[in-house]
Amino acid sequence: MNHTFSIGIGGAAGQGVATPGDIFAKIFSRRGLHLNAYNAYQSIIRGGHTFLTIRAGVDPVTNMGDTIDLLIPLNQDTMDRHLRLLGRGGACIYNADTIKPGEHADGVQLCALPVSTLADITKNKVAQNTLAIGAALSMMGIGFQALEDVIREQFGKKAPAVADENIAVARAGYDYATQHFQAFARPLPMTDKKYAVLSGNTALAMGGAAAGVKFYSAYPMSPSTGVLHWFATHGRKAGIMVRQVEDEIGVVNMAIGAAHAGVRAMCATSGGGFALMSEALGLSAMAEIPIVVIDCMRAGPSTGVPTKTEQGDLWQMLGAAFGDYPRVIAAPLDIADCFTLIPEIFNVVDKFQVPGLVLCDLLLSEGRLSVDPSVLNFAPPVDRGEMITAPNGHAEGGYKRYLITDSGVSPRAIPGIPGYTHVVSSDEHDEDGVLISDMFTNHAKRRAMMEKRMRKEQGIAAAVPPPTLQGPADADVTLIGWGSTQGVIEEARAQLAEQGITANQLQIRWLAPLHGDAILDLLKNAKRTIIVENNYSGQFARYLRSETSFVADGHIRKYDGEPFMPHHIVDAVREQLAGDVTLSVPSHEVMV
Amino acid sequence: MAATATPGPKVNRIGLPVLEYRGGKTTLCAGCGHNAISERIIDALYEMGVQPERVMKLSGIGCSSKSPAYFLSRAHSFNSVHGRMPSVATGALLANRTMMGLGVSGDGDTASIGIGQFVHLMRRNLNLIYIIEDNGVYGLTKGQFSATADIGSKLKTGVVNDLPAIDTCSLAIQLGATFVGRSFSGDKKQLLTMLKAAMAHKGTVMLDVISPCVTFNDHEGSTRSYKYMQDHEEPVGEVGFVPSFEEIDVEYEEGSSFDVEMHDGSHLRLKKLPENYDPTDRAVAVRTLMEAHENNEILTGVFYIDTQKPAFTDLLNLVDEPLALLPQSRTRPPKKVLDEVMSKHL
Repeated sequence: MNHTFSIGIGGAAGQGVATPGDIFAKIFSRRGLHLNAYNAYQSIIRGGHTFLTIRAGVDPVTNMGDTIDLLIPLNQDTMDRHLRLLGRGGACIYNADTIKPGEHADGVQLCALPVSTLADITKNKVAQNTLAIGAALSMMGIGFQALEDVIREQFGKKAPAVADENIAVARAGYDYATQHFQAFARPLPMTDKKYAVLSGNTALAMGGAAAGVKFYSAYPMSPSTGVLHWFATHGRKAGIMVRQVEDEIGVVNMAIGAAHAGVRAMCATSGGGFALMSEALGLSAMAEIPIVVIDCMRAGPSTGVPTKTEQGDLWQMLGAAFGDYPRVIAAPLDIADCFTLIPEIFNVVDKFQVPGLVLCDLLLSEGRLSVDPSVLNFAPPVDRGEMITAPNGHAEGGYKRYLITDSGVSPRAIPGIPGYTHVVSSDEHDEDGVLISDMFTNHAKRRAMMEKRMRKEQGIAAAVPPPTLQGPADADVTLIGWGSTQGVIEEARAQLAEQGITANQLQIRWLAPLHGDAILDLLKNAKRTIIVENNYSGQFARYLRSETSFVADGHIRKYDGEPFMPHHIVDAVREQLAGDVTLSVPSHEVMV
Repeated sequence: MAATATPGPKVNRIGLPVLEYRGGKTTLCAGCGHNAISERIIDALYEMGVQPERVMKLSGIGCSSKSPAYFLSRAHSFNSVHGRMPSVATGALLANRTMMGLGVSGDGDTASIGIGQFVHLMRRNLNLIYIIEDNGVYGLTKGQFSATADIGSKLKTGVVNDLPAIDTCSLAIQLGATFVGRSFSGDKKQLLTMLKAAMAHKGTVMLDVISPCVTFNDHEGSTRSYKYMQDHEEPVGEVGFVPSFEEIDVEYEEGSSFDVEMHDGSHLRLKKLPENYDPTDRAVAVRTLMEAHENNEILTGVFYIDTQKPAFTDLLNLVDEPLALLPQSRTRPPKKVLDEVMSKHL
């Protein structure tokens, strides 16, 4: 199995947990290692507890894993919470001046750094962090140069003196560890690959840029704000109009306005913001103006747990806005897929002139993953569908914006073209856009327009691929998941295989259209089916049943705010295979 | 071959007859102030010689928001949802800055459900003419008070409004709109002049047009009835407008008059203003409005104008052509930019 190495760095918000995390991530990705980083944090600017896990390995690392190999506590609280979780062969590097270790397992190496004797702590406030990074590098068997390069880059040319000072501190930590601590049994490998490290939010934004998004609007809301930050930072250079708007009602209507004028428009929010947007999704559907809205899910309901992950918004998506209308819903499977999915969903929504909804979650949005740059296609195919941007001579006899067609799709003229002016309305309307319920209601027209719009569902289903089964066809158990659980289920399957249990996986990326028949076909020979999801009620299980009447044998659910670790799924599968348990709710062992 | 030209219909400066500016048949009540406003909009567009296809009509929901159907059928129209026109308009005009935005809203659409959107729209100074067809009541839901109804005014049923009115003009001036005025649907000359001037302005124009609801708010005890307006309308001065394509041939009087040269070279002339009234001073404008309100007067005219503040689209580093019409090669960020972005992640 993939050998990985995990570092856990914890401290209070404001203590500088992020910087060592960034430094390790850079060093690992430059060594050609895959990595996955997940930051557990709280809704606080200073204080509280923040715990960053970075896991690296030669093969793709899809999740935070089960164990920590190296713990770097920046305060006593982190030491107290996490030291007991280290196993044999693990190590903990800490500031011996201020932090005292507690109970720990046999074979754990306690690496006490005499911080005040190694560095001038009156001058360098983060000396303990820098010393620990240096010490860690030495113990991992990585040459000092890699660290020196990253520190120099970080301070840039602006502050060479500060860079020199930090390099000296890091060097002191490095040398001290070489002399006093035992190196890890396996030095960290190196490959000739080179990976980019992206957060899901960055990937969503870059995917938007690649798709040709020209208008991005948002209201800041965790955990979606990173998408706005990317656009705000790069929008001007990239030629993208970026607006921070007064609320999510304004956000989505502005996107609709821009899309209506003819550009690709996107916005991102979290569940609470999405709730405010639902009214406008109906407008998008009724006026047949395609937009893409991303919901980076966090634990709800209401303000919920703003800094914790959940897959709890599926039914909100399915039920958003009143009335029936065709919609496209997709959930990216990992951080690289956050990038890939956006151009794909834009092509579908443009072609069918419907709203497109992306169900991401905090785990992907704020997590970071190594991505092979070659999979990021910055020139993906762009299909804007039947759009009229200049007179094409077909307007004679009257252009009809909502022409009834077999596909349900009517050619869309953008505003400002003589001969193609038309009325766009949130009211039900005739083919030419004129309201049908002003003087009296023409029920035949209403029916025809409803059927026209709903006919698009057939085309959408044909444009979106059905899911496939991963792993052996005759497995003992079939694990069903959707979106961000792809990686952790995959790793759980590998662990199960080592324990003699074969598992395959059905991971849903396109939630609407669902391809129910194809799913039933894939599941018809399954020996035992278990649905894994990060919510309380089994939102996907209920959706699958409503669409297909399929009832799974068992369920694994987690709704404590933290993502699944592979062993949570492994233990639950074993529990369900062994007895008559059909619902497992793994508990998260550590309080973060 | 001698041919006598048949005298065609009278046309405007771009060669279009007024017929080309008309809309569908109104379905509003006979005598509704909104219909008179539609007529004035038609006249203003015709007289200004606006190319119909260049106009984007925008509205929310309500009687007022239906009215874009009753003028300028040759223009594009977007009948959005209740209270959300400001953001739809912002998105659309940012994506195509070459369109002339003409928004029609009502007092419910603006001052109640859409107040948040209205407030933020005014801050932007987007190139948009925002007209409130203001009758103080919700018509389509049968006559409940709106937030612009005056305190103490009475519904037909005898219900008395117990909350103070929101003055959309004061609000717009404070928030950053650059052309703010109030008119009355029954005052043909003033309304037409103000609409024409609005079409010459660059930035947000906010016009609150008192437009009596003949069905639900035209009775004794209403402060939005034709009768009440006849008795209480108090013009702040006389509004004159000389479009850029006409010669200025009248000298204007110094002192109580104010001549404002607009962006396109047109002139807005405010005459017979109260002493010391400066329409470029927002504090004076707001104080005058508040004082009039206390005297139970409904002040009309152009209260405030600023031709110096840059319009929203001029602040945003936008390309000149509509974003919507950029070729695909320009809809994606240049490779150089993407490479630079990627280098930070490597």
